[in-house]
Amino acid sequence: MITVTGHLKTDCSALKKLLPAEDILTFSFRADGGGEFTVLFADAVTDKELLGEQVVRPLLRYDGAPAASEVGARLTSPELKRETDLNRLAEEVLNGNPVLLWEGADGALVTGLKKVYARAVSEPPTDVAVKGPREGFVEDVKINASLVRRRLKSPDLRLETVVIGRRSRTTVQICYLDGIAVRSVAEEVKKRLENIDLDVVPDSSYLSHFLAAKPRSLLKQVGTTEKPDIFCAKLAEGRVGILADGSPIALTVPYLLVEDFQSSEDYFVPTYRATFTRLLRVFALLVAVYLPAFYIAAQLFKLQLFPVKLLLTIAGSIRNIPLSPSLEMLLVLLVLEVLNEASIRMPKYVGMALSVVGALVLGETAVSAGFVSTPAIIIIAFSGIGLYAVPNLIEVTSVVRLAMLLVAGSVGTYGIVLLTAFLLFYLCVTENFGTPVLAPFSPLVGRDLRDSLVKYNLSALCLRPETLKSKNKRRLRRVK
Amino acid sequence: MSNKISVRQLCFFLAFVAPVGKIVLLPSRLVHFAKNDLLLPAALQFALQAGIVFLVVLLSRKGETLYELLRNAFGKVVASILFVLFACFFLFAALYPVQEQKLLVQSVFYDTLPSLFVFAPFFVLSAYLCAKPLFVCGRTWDALAPLSTVAFAGLMILSAGEADFGALQPAGASGFPAILKAFAYTSNWFCDSAFLLLLTGRLEYRKGMAWKALLSYLAGALAVLFFLAVYYGIFSDIAVRQSFAFAKISKYFSAVSVLGRVDYLFIYLLGLVMTFYCVVPLQASATCLREAFGERGKPALYSVAVNAAVLLVVIFTDLRFLSFQETVTVKLFWIFPLFTVLVPLLCLFLGRSRREKILR
Repeated sequence: MITVTGHLKTDCSALKKLLPAEDILTFSFRADGGGEFTVLFADAVTDKELLGEQVVRPLLRYDGAPAASEVGARLTSPELKRETDLNRLAEEVLNGNPVLLWEGADGALVTGLKKVYARAVSEPPTDVAVKGPREGFVEDVKINASLVRRRLKSPDLRLETVVIGRRSRTTVQICYLDGIAVRSVAEEVKKRLENIDLDVVPDSSYLSHFLAAKPRSLLKQVGTTEKPDIFCAKLAEGRVGILADGSPIALTVPYLLVEDFQSSEDYFVPTYRATFTRLLRVFALLVAVYLPAFYIAAQLFKLQLFPVKLLLTIAGSIRNIPLSPSLEMLLVLLVLEVLNEASIRMPKYVGMALSVVGALVLGETAVSAGFVSTPAIIIIAFSGIGLYAVPNLIEVTSVVRLAMLLVAGSVGTYGIVLLTAFLLFYLCVTENFGTPVLAPFSPLVGRDLRDSLVKYNLSALCLRPETLKSKNKRRLRRVK
Repeated sequence: MSNKISVRQLCFFLAFVAPVGKIVLLPSRLVHFAKNDLLLPAALQFALQAGIVFLVVLLSRKGETLYELLRNAFGKVVASILFVLFACFFLFAALYPVQEQKLLVQSVFYDTLPSLFVFAPFFVLSAYLCAKPLFVCGRTWDALAPLSTVAFAGLMILSAGEADFGALQPAGASGFPAILKAFAYTSNWFCDSAFLLLLTGRLEYRKGMAWKALLSYLAGALAVLFFLAVYYGIFSDIAVRQSFAFAKISKYFSAVSVLGRVDYLFIYLLGLVMTFYCVVPLQASATCLREAFGERGKPALYSVAVNAAVLLVVIFTDLRFLSFQETVTVKLFWIFPLFTVLVPLLCLFLGRSRREKILR
């Protein structure tokens, strides 16, 4: 450990040696009392106006003894920290917090004058709600923490900070409600995060990889949300949340599959409506995954699955198609995936043109040219729309849909049954942080079914989910 | 993850999963021997098995696995030998359900008879499942229960209206010897108690568990008996020829001609449940080998060995199903009551003698 010596020039040059970058600036000045001071700061991430107001100006008129306590008392900055380790001081400078050194100092003062460049809090594009709060997380962890703190004004809300990334030094905050979240889960999260020896953490999704019990698994094992209201609701249920600096996506553990079939809006609309929409999402997802596969399997192996009239229509449509049904479906699916990928990445101005080219020109001409049949396009379109009914599961379901299609084309309906059996079993045995992913269905937790695919009235949800094993079980006291 | 199977999971297995294995070829075999009296031998089998299920679940009060019970009574070597015998029995017991499943797949899931290749992926899945510990099954049963209920109820709704239950009359017309024959020669479908024996010590024992298991088994039995009644009510004299009963009984429903074979959705769902049911004896066999040989081999090794053995039998008996059926259900039928009735009863005495030893 290299410590502050008290010799201003020596300390400054030692710090400059640790921070040779050109954007690390020094500003030296002499106070009225003759004391010499130097401030080290990172140019782009320090609020220089505040630095002048809260540090330099008060010290210019300072004529007292240069001791840390007295110097500190003169500064008007509310966030002050004394530090002697030069390495830690260098870290603070890189974080945007200027470091104040002076001749004869027994330590340096770190001032919290970081300049925060953050976009305004706005509605997240991935989770739009017609009813309910519209705030979304932003890239700054402090703003995100403030959004959480504003909703949970409880002393039980714990925000533990971990710094991850050898070079990025990303601030990660572990949030949980003490007494509600299972302590061992919070500790395990912290342990797993602290064990990460990564160079740079660009986004929270990097962390989810390390939080997952089976990192190579196809299934999602960490919950994600961009909305503080959902995040807080999950904390209140007993989950542990993770906020990472630079990412608007917050993580939550333990993750249950059923979470992705729920939306924040479900809690702001009548229960029958919430239940209906949740079941609709399940139906949409099943259609998205199984419809193309069953269409192929029926055409190739089991024509009885079609009603006679529909069979005749399909037969008429596919009569002159040169491709086999499975190849045709794969081709249409591939086109859909390419269009989807392109429409996400391309500039917004060309989006409309792409829609016209993709949907009208490509689709229409492919059918009239006899490359693909109309039923195939309809089925893939329906499947594509269905997939977006559960946006958080798109990565998984699109792969499963492709696998189903391949299996249906090669083995037929029995292949679909076997792959479903495998997925079901895999879901049943997967768990993370001691919580089964398929709960409350497997293992069956009767009470938790009240807020699963069905949604009971709020008064029936007076207890926290049993699956999450919270010690504090009651969240709603009965009205007398 | 709890490494025990809960009361609920056991009940779900007995009420919703186990009955599914009894609605494929069993109905036509019962009619083959007992004609319109098919309900009587089935009911007798269910009654006998229900009693054994009750006793076996009671045995798990001690919290010891079957292997531990045998080891404590006879020593490690004898226990291992007995467990190898158990493994052989379960392997033998798995042959018929797997063949049944294969025939079902070939005739119901495809318009034209496909090659054996389409059934081969079953063994890949089975090998994966068999490598997992037995208690993992409990969670699967939780998930399968609603699927099984929906599928079974759907099929019954579509078919019950078409049944003429009068066809079951007059009761007892086929005579006692025929009923007895049907009772004996359908023993291979009633191996649930032997499997439960293996679950001893792996159950999260609670007070009243045996009664709950008994009632669940009887609920499943009632569902199967109702199915048999509907089946005979629909097909009557030609029932003996209707091998894959559950895939056929709902096709006469009037809406099916308009909507297409919507009943296939239920049939596929039952096929899914059946897949897991077929794996049960294979899992049991792999588990027995694992316990008999200890940690000397990896679980996957036993799993692959068991599945490879069954696959070989399936390949060699592919076109000789009738003689295979005759061998398993008629010539070697006595093996089943030996392991599903006699051995569980003997195990009860084993448990008692050990308890007495402790008391002494």
